[in-house]
Amino acid sequence: MHRYFLSRVLQSVLLLLGVVVLVFFMVRITGDPASLMMPRNATPEQIEAFREAMGFNRPLIVQFWDFFTHALVGDFGNSLHFKSPALPLVIERLPATLELATAAMLMAILIGVPLGLLGGFSPGSVLDSLARLVGLLGQSIPNFWLALIMILVFAVRLGWFPSFGRDEWKSVVLPAFALGLATMGQIVRLTRSSTLEIRSEDFIRTAHSKGLLPRTIYTKHVLRNVAIPLVSIIGVQFGYMLGGSIYIEFIFAWPGIGQLLEQAIGWRDFPMVQAIAVFTSVAVLALNLLTDAAYMIIDPRIRYGIRE
Amino acid sequence: MKRTTLLLSLLLAASLLVLVACAAPAAPAAPAAPAEAPTEAPAATEAPAPAGPSGTLVRAISTFPNSLDVPQTAERQASTTAWQMFDSLVWFDDDGTIVPSLAESWEVSEDGTEYIFHLRKDVKFHNGEPFNADSVVFSWQRAAQGNFEYSTHWQRADSVEKIDDYTVRITTPEPDALFLSIMADNWAMIPPGYFNEVGQEGFEAHPVGTGAFKFVEWVKGDHITMEANPDYWRGAPKLEKVIFRPIPESATRVAAVQTGEVDIATRLSAEEAATLEGLEHVQVISYPLTRIFYVAFNNLTTGVGQPTEDKRVRIAMNLAVDMDAIIDAIFDGHAKAANGMVASGELGYDGAPPFGYDPERAKELLAEAGYPDGFDMGMACPAGAYTHFEEVCEAIAGYLGDVGINIDLQIMESGQYWDLEAQKQLPPLFGDSWSSAVGEAYPRLIGSLGGMDFTYSAWYDENIAAMLEKIKVTVDQQKRAELYRELQAYMREDPPFIYLYEPVTFEAVNTRVKGYRPRSAETYFLFNVSVEE
Amino acid sequence: MAFESRPFEHDVDTLLDIEKTPLQRLAYYGRFLWRDRGGMIGMFIFLTVVVAALFSPQLSPYDPLDQRLRDSKLPPAWAADGTWDHPLGTDNLGRDILSRIIYGSRVSLTVGFFGVLIAATLGMLIGSIAGYIGGRVDSAIMSIINLILSLPYLLFVVFIAAILGRSLLNVILIFGITDSPIFARVTRGEVLRIRRSGYVESAISAGARWPHIIVDHIIPNLIGPLITLATFEMSAMIFYEAGLGFLGLSVPPSVPSWGNMLANGRKYLTNAPWIAAAPGLAIMYTSLGMNLLGDWLRDVLDPRLRRARR
Repeated sequence: MHRYFLSRVLQSVLLLLGVVVLVFFMVRITGDPASLMMPRNATPEQIEAFREAMGFNRPLIVQFWDFFTHALVGDFGNSLHFKSPALPLVIERLPATLELATAAMLMAILIGVPLGLLGGFSPGSVLDSLARLVGLLGQSIPNFWLALIMILVFAVRLGWFPSFGRDEWKSVVLPAFALGLATMGQIVRLTRSSTLEIRSEDFIRTAHSKGLLPRTIYTKHVLRNVAIPLVSIIGVQFGYMLGGSIYIEFIFAWPGIGQLLEQAIGWRDFPMVQAIAVFTSVAVLALNLLTDAAYMIIDPRIRYGIRE
Repeated sequence: MKRTTLLLSLLLAASLLVLVACAAPAAPAAPAAPAEAPTEAPAATEAPAPAGPSGTLVRAISTFPNSLDVPQTAERQASTTAWQMFDSLVWFDDDGTIVPSLAESWEVSEDGTEYIFHLRKDVKFHNGEPFNADSVVFSWQRAAQGNFEYSTHWQRADSVEKIDDYTVRITTPEPDALFLSIMADNWAMIPPGYFNEVGQEGFEAHPVGTGAFKFVEWVKGDHITMEANPDYWRGAPKLEKVIFRPIPESATRVAAVQTGEVDIATRLSAEEAATLEGLEHVQVISYPLTRIFYVAFNNLTTGVGQPTEDKRVRIAMNLAVDMDAIIDAIFDGHAKAANGMVASGELGYDGAPPFGYDPERAKELLAEAGYPDGFDMGMACPAGAYTHFEEVCEAIAGYLGDVGINIDLQIMESGQYWDLEAQKQLPPLFGDSWSSAVGEAYPRLIGSLGGMDFTYSAWYDENIAAMLEKIKVTVDQQKRAELYRELQAYMREDPPFIYLYEPVTFEAVNTRVKGYRPRSAETYFLFNVSVEE
Repeated sequence: MAFESRPFEHDVDTLLDIEKTPLQRLAYYGRFLWRDRGGMIGMFIFLTVVVAALFSPQLSPYDPLDQRLRDSKLPPAWAADGTWDHPLGTDNLGRDILSRIIYGSRVSLTVGFFGVLIAATLGMLIGSIAGYIGGRVDSAIMSIINLILSLPYLLFVVFIAAILGRSLLNVILIFGITDSPIFARVTRGEVLRIRRSGYVESAISAGARWPHIIVDHIIPNLIGPLITLATFEMSAMIFYEAGLGFLGLSVPPSVPSWGNMLANGRKYLTNAPWIAAAPGLAIMYTSLGMNLLGDWLRDVLDPRLRRARR
């Protein structure tokens, strides 16, 4: 078990190194990082001065070593927009993004699991149609579009929720729903199909014949079956939500990492973008290791590395 | 499995969404002339001054300030936010004239390179430090010697010396006509004692100035809060608290001003402004940005030997474009046809009528110049750089076609476009725009007409160059204004551009806000602003 | 983008009845499709989008770029002031929305199709190498791929798109490359399964040559799961292309794409909501159809789940 976990850690570190290499070369893929990062109407002299200041005229290998060794200690250079170290500015935004992602995840689970269970209990019922609807719409509604419409309806027209910001508990409702809908759809589908699957298993029929209450049985078995994929959804979806937060945080002016990324791209502040890319990768990989640990507790077979 | 039920509910949901979107009582579709120049905030009737500062104003801005330290601010909205906490030695009044601020008065030497400022004696910084000549010297030293975004604006002065506690002498290397304007816009005074104690980082984390409002907190990406400075030397401001909220998505800014969550929303487009027309609690105000759009001619590289070297052709092309129709159709009427390269509100703007639309005269002129059947010419415009500019270019190409000038229009990705523009390799006609934030047109004029010496210039005319040189060294405002008027007249007789339009920006203001008067170039001053509860 | 389908991907590695001839199998799928309304609807939707993309010039009432400033912001036909001249109304520059939606399907399908093609090719290559070599190489490649799949994918896509600039080719390349790991994972799973099943070995011992084995055994077994995956991924790419368009990072603004239309239309949400509603619904419609189709394909190709559905 320790060996397995250790190899996971090692792989994560390896991948992280890969990410650092990627973000280094990414800003150089067009050939000239200086003109990429300078304002579009900068003069050639300004660009040359900037190239000098950033050390872009040194040999590539020297630049890389410099970037790499600094990245190891969390130094991605100064944000071009804020003129201060980039990484602390990113970390500063983490709580807001975590709050939004957690709220979205909770909403997805708390609505998704019961809906999937109820749908699976009575296929073809109104509830089941609703479950299938959420399952399908979750995948097909563009969340940025939904977000705009929700602002119009629930903030402007009905006045139930604030239209932007992160001020009170109500502020999180609209952005969390918009961000969590896709995940909610998945969870509904997962729970529903698991419920259906369990219905057809032999031991359920046996349980029936023993006179046990069917719903308690379903729920127990389904939840146990759903637990593992659910944990993996949480791991994977966290990464997805960080991506989706670009739109949601931008639209709702939510002061998180996604919004910072959207703005940093507008400012051509690529040191900041690099810091965001590496930092979020670290966060996601760490979360993955945590889910791995959670797996091992839920399902002992994994201890022996049976699961791929 | 009732798939039909599913399908039905799907359709239902979809149509619901559409209904929700469509059936929304569409705000009365832009009643004619919505922004007919209410350049002044809602009912300028000043509310009876309350006993002390009261009420909170929430202002939505469209981007995140990078810093609240004025020389470090990267763009307009950051600096105007920061300025609420600072003062300079001089200031613009509502008409754009330079008036005293922290300096009670000043004298300029004969040769125009030496200024003596007499400072106010009753001013204290927010931390209690007194404002005096040392503060001025220190503020200048820090910003001019540091590596700030706008250090260059402080480096226009050679030296800043203390004569006595309340008198300073400032010298410039040569007569610098823009010096006071630049000072009003950039020279924020900071307290030396406090700065030395906390350092640059500490100062950016908690800026301290002499301004009407004091820094309270800045939650990055979320809000900036300031409170009234009751000891402000002009008197206590009327607002108790001001909150700045960055909301990058303009649709959200519109929503937030509709719900009353914010009092002022900036940088709205004409369409968004139209959305807000007819709401009882929101007034839309508009003012021109000091920016001019144009189609440039080229007599340096690609335009050499082309018909556009003849000024009759260039006048004809100005006459051939129906700018008012373009503005009506593409900007809902919300832009101003440009009459030259000096924007309205800038020093020396002559207010002469634009060329106007006269295709017949245009054809006559073309015939006189020897092109009765027109000619073919290439033209380029940047994509995605400016609102609707691609459409404007297409429309211009259409109008030029009507008088026989067949335009081969290329719309290019803006990065590539500006590269080519800098290398002077764009086709002989190209569209672009130029802003100016110093209250006059000089930077725009020299930048676009400076000949081979300037990156984005494609034109050289020795008469224009001579006039610009004169403007550069003339310090007296009256004389400068006169020179600008001369230049504008000349540039209408021999136009180096097709003059297009001055864009207009919109702000939505809750009617509870009184006394708010934004100026062109987006500056504003919250000292006199109040809110009704 | 793989996120939509990922938790189900265990369903994808599926059992195919290898004894049946292709024709028999096709007939069987046909019957199954007929019985499954969701699949029918999905297929119908998909076909309409394909037809719209293929015959855009014939189907569009107007040139999608044609501006008629006088007729700007006309509402859809069913609204009070609407006319059937412009069934879905016109946008802020008086361009016919229906025509733009029809042309927009070209961008979406091009991105989806070529993106998946590249992703599948790359993924199959990596996946079959991993599956074929097996052992430590395999487990190393797969662990890394699993980790890559957990990274905030969209964030990297936005990063890369911001650097490369707006062009159709860039968008396709970005999606094609970044989406290949999921194809690699599925391919590798299938290759392993086929290898374990033993009939490849028996075919070799029976004297069959490799090209033969690949054509006869490997490809038929791979194709089912990969098509299912491709359907989901294509839907996801269409979705994310629109997202990039919304951020102004997809195809150039002059190209009528659904994402660009949405980005433009959001300025008019209160007074001309149809400008943004139409592309939003088009994305939803396509994505919905392809998901239904993908569900159906998975059901057909996965007997386990099929049994559970009854």
